[in-house]
Amino acid sequence: MPYREKTAWLSLIAMAVAFGPYFTIVALRSVPGALPNLRQLGLFAVAAIAQVLILGAGHLYLHRGSPQDAGTPPDERDRAIMRRSISSAYYVLIVGMILVGCVMPFNSSGWSIINAALVMIVAAEVVHYGVVVLSYRRQT
Amino acid sequence: MMEGSISNRIRILRFQNGEMSQAELGQRIGVTRQTIAAIEAGKYSPSLEAAFRIAQVFHLPLVEVFQWDAKATD
Repeated sequence: MPYREKTAWLSLIAMAVAFGPYFTIVALRSVPGALPNLRQLGLFAVAAIAQVLILGAGHLYLHRGSPQDAGTPPDERDRAIMRRSISSAYYVLIVGMILVGCVMPFNSSGWSIINAALVMIVAAEVVHYGVVVLSYRRQT
Repeated sequence: MMEGSISNRIRILRFQNGEMSQAELGQRIGVTRQTIAAIEAGKYSPSLEAAFRIAQVFHLPLVEVFQWDAKATD
């Protein structure tokens, strides 16, 4: 498996582990919209720190497993896959940001808007790394 | 638009050139072993520059390495 596919899998797993429980809790519990809502902020901080820790440990593990691959600069196929994945994720992000920034302020406020923005960012990242994984799978 | 696909003789040429490995060929043209494997399998079409580099490694003109197989259309 190419090194960059492994790191894409790692990013997907980190997002699922960190933000899966976060969004589940947010969806099941009614979140008071008023800011700052430190409890909600704390929950978000836990998710963000968990993601950073998983990514840090994962990259360290992958780097130790194949240091030569980790240091190899991306070749033309890697760059083509990167371009494709970023342009796919861009559409998800732009639609999400239009909804969150231009539509939601008329009927929502506070953490509802913040969480919706987070959902769209995570969705864009899932599409980004998902397209990377699928592209490597199809071309292997 | 004219339909077709690109095929290549890289696998055969590697074996004819001292059983050159995919990693070695990749190193010589500046791509990863996985990219050479994808090109060989016809799952990735290299850039024109990479195609010329591959042909140069085998001291052959481009058309001896890569072929365009046009699909018959009505």
